[in-house]
Amino acid sequence: MKKIMEIALGIVTSVGGFLEIGSIATAAQAGADFSFQLIWAIVLGGLCIIFLVEQAGRFSAVSGRTIPDAIRERFGFNYFAFLYIVLALVSLLVLAAEIGGVCIALELATGIHFQWWTVPAAFLIWLVMWKGTFGVIEKGVSVLGLVTLSFVVGAYLIHPPEAQVLRGVLPSLPQHDKAHYWFAAVSILGASISPYLFFFYSSGAIEDEWNEGYVGVNRIIATGGMTFGSVISISVLILAAMIFAPQGVKFEHYSQLPDLLVPVFGYWGYWLLVASVGIACLGAALEITLEIAYLTAQGFGWNWSENQRPKDEARFAAAYTLTIIVAALITITGIDPLTLTIFSMALTAATLPVSIVPFLFLMNDYSYVRVYRNGWFSNAVVIAIISLAFVLAVVSIPLQIFGGG
Amino acid sequence: MNLIRDCLDKQINDRLKRRMGRVDGIVLEVEPGRPPRVAYIELGVKTLMKRLSRRLGNAITHEPYRIAWGQIEVGLNEVRADVEAEKTPALEWELWLRKKVIGRIPGA
Repeated sequence: MKKIMEIALGIVTSVGGFLEIGSIATAAQAGADFSFQLIWAIVLGGLCIIFLVEQAGRFSAVSGRTIPDAIRERFGFNYFAFLYIVLALVSLLVLAAEIGGVCIALELATGIHFQWWTVPAAFLIWLVMWKGTFGVIEKGVSVLGLVTLSFVVGAYLIHPPEAQVLRGVLPSLPQHDKAHYWFAAVSILGASISPYLFFFYSSGAIEDEWNEGYVGVNRIIATGGMTFGSVISISVLILAAMIFAPQGVKFEHYSQLPDLLVPVFGYWGYWLLVASVGIACLGAALEITLEIAYLTAQGFGWNWSENQRPKDEARFAAAYTLTIIVAALITITGIDPLTLTIFSMALTAATLPVSIVPFLFLMNDYSYVRVYRNGWFSNAVVIAIISLAFVLAVVSIPLQIFGGG
Repeated sequence: MNLIRDCLDKQINDRLKRRMGRVDGIVLEVEPGRPPRVAYIELGVKTLMKRLSRRLGNAITHEPYRIAWGQIEVGLNEVRADVEAEKTPALEWELWLRKKVIGRIPGA
């Protein structure tokens, strides 16, 4: 019974962690511009993240180490430093976008311009980090994140044409705006295959004191959680395809977000949207902040745990405090949050190989994962994901230039 | 033992099992006519920067902290040091931050 509860809670947590401003924005944009045609990108990204999250959880449960911990050990400081700089910079931009998402939700709720909400939103994130435990962040915020299921209910109630939705699951070539189509696909993949997800998940396994007995539980949580997360993203795309695309409306500003749920739920749709965006972005902001602090502390061998008092791990507390300040400074400049989101998702895609290549080595190292090493199928999948990551790395910046507009 | 594989970059825990850093460097002593001897492990930004570039390392004046090889035990998952971390320079920054910044914020 305890394990079933853990699995249920784990799936809920993973769903909460999956959906954030990047997946909402990229899915809404794809639906508005290309109707159901880009569902395949969410499905592909979802499959990739299922495998990576499962492997990150299995690695930590069996080895008792986090992925960054092992990268420093196995690949040395120079590779770690490279990974750290790349990942911290990209994560800071994504965090700034998530803080922007929280502020947009507050702007929609109050009518006060989002920039004014940056400091209160950043303070709220810091306060939860300062006073909360890992359980509060992991479970509390994620359970609230279930409000995002309103997108799924909305997508069901709007009765999309099933044949077209199913056709969208299969990759197809664009009929128009080719560069923009591929840029949208890359952004969706960047939003889905977020390194912060598997780095955070790996640290979470240690915080929750997983051991070899959790290998099966991990598999169910990773698969269930990421699948449900992908279903929510697909629902956002379906809603945008049903509401924006037929009218030829482009998704160009976050103020258009309520239009996704209001036609289905009426007055309450507005508030469901505000709650969904606010909570999803708050949850993601907490996870990304923790991920940067974990990465720093684990890489340098500091004391770390969200369950300890800040003064017992002053450098860890300083790391997340500084992270929030820097990200809030980016948000407060007033950069359009949607532009920042789409740009940071494309940048995430461009830097994926740095985070994913180590999996191939770590998941086959007997000294870490013993009999739980990857089989031929998992290795083939990781190689396929690495190949995809290299393609994304090469094409994302040119596509940003030629198709990002 | 393979020093690079089994010791370098491993987590160091003190005798109270407190995380105190990583093995940032290993110091060998070479005496004429004798084989090289592992003398210390090092922790510190200077050592880390030296691994990136000698010039970067030389730019940092703060000397690394050394623990004698005889005071450590290299395990499978960690390097155990027979010292008390809080009484060593390894936690200098941690203690400074605790005292001057983090500890002063309400709720710390």
